[in-house]
Amino acid sequence: MRDSRINEVVLPHLNAAYNFARWLTRDAHDAQDVVQEACARALRYLPGYRGVNGRAWFLAIVRNAAFDWLARNRPGDVDGDDAVDEVPDASDKGPEALAMRKDEGEVLAAAIAALPPGFREVLILRELEELSYKEIARITDVPVGTVMSRLSRARALLSRVPTLVAIRGSAAGSGS
Amino acid sequence: MNCHEARILLPAYGDGELDPLRTAEFERHLSACPECTAGVDAFHALRHKIRAYAPYHAAPADLRERIERMGSKQAEPPRPRRTFVAGLALGCAATVLAWLVTTALVDRIDGNAFERAVVATHVHATLGDRLVTVASSDRHTVKPWLTARLDYAPPVKDMASEGFPLLGGRIDTLDNRAVAALVYGYRDHRIGVFVRPHDGADAPVEMGVVRGFNVAHLRRSGMEWWAVSDLNAEQLRGLVTSLAKPE
Repeated sequence: MRDSRINEVVLPHLNAAYNFARWLTRDAHDAQDVVQEACARALRYLPGYRGVNGRAWFLAIVRNAAFDWLARNRPGDVDGDDAVDEVPDASDKGPEALAMRKDEGEVLAAAIAALPPGFREVLILRELEELSYKEIARITDVPVGTVMSRLSRARALLSRVPTLVAIRGSAAGSGS
Repeated sequence: MNCHEARILLPAYGDGELDPLRTAEFERHLSACPECTAGVDAFHALRHKIRAYAPYHAAPADLRERIERMGSKQAEPPRPRRTFVAGLALGCAATVLAWLVTTALVDRIDGNAFERAVVATHVHATLGDRLVTVASSDRHTVKPWLTARLDYAPPVKDMASEGFPLLGGRIDTLDNRAVAALVYGYRDHRIGVFVRPHDGADAPVEMGVVRGFNVAHLRRSGMEWWAVSDLNAEQLRGLVTSLAKPE
């Protein structure tokens, strides 16, 4: 009975869980740890699961497991959720690292990875998992209005990426 | 609606979160305002770039295996403590009660019985390695294979040009009847499509949500399509509509 429920509730959403954990932790190995911990928790919480939206239910567990993991292992990653005005740097190495990237696609992917967690999670849930505002609000445990404003901020930050690339491109051009 | 209001509503419009009335108002404004139309185009261009460049990380096979083992370990039956008969009686009563409660709850909140059966069948197929019996992206392979095993000829389309490559097909059962099950891909999503004959009137696409999966249903020209996926509703609707379009 339990076996079939974990099969039905967790396994169909394992890709979504791993993708989400991978973007939250930004590391393949850490993401595996997080998903495994999330599955262990899901097994414990299954009796309380009401069978409405398995994906949102499981992703909420993955998120909590990821933030617990980050708080324990990389506390620096979860600070500074709000008040971000700058285009985030790629990795922690600053704008130079961003400028080293080859093309706009790479810069964009790096810029997403560098978004503060609160912005990154809503963007990933919306654009890659294609969830509704209501589902995202449930998973990230914030009101729908906050989901909308964080999404807007994340998109505004990312929409500046082409400009960055253009500036870097013209700088490189004049330098050679 | 003026440009100021339109700019505020733009993200919700792009995310498909506006109600039909507001959507109509928004689109009426767009048709008269090139500036806001450019804003919507930019919104979609950014989305397209994000989806193209941000990698979708599928779960590695060894992680999946570990989780599967975790599930079966948990499933080992607990040691019996009560006498067998008492335990059996209690177990039965609990099962019946649980069934009554969950069916009552689920019926209210979670689609109709047939939608649930469609989702359950699809989910069941995705769990093992039996998603497709005939693995081919060539509809001229898949269609004859299915037709030979059914009492009808299911329409099979290759949707690769629209981003949904055909992955193959299998025979499944719905309502105790053999039915054609087609599987399409979209990035790392799998889309299950069941096609069977239907003698009722045509019906436009209807969308539903069951256990976090989107379900699309459509009837046209004597056939019926059911599509299930964790893909977003808007794309699933598009796929089903294209599948049912006469060639």
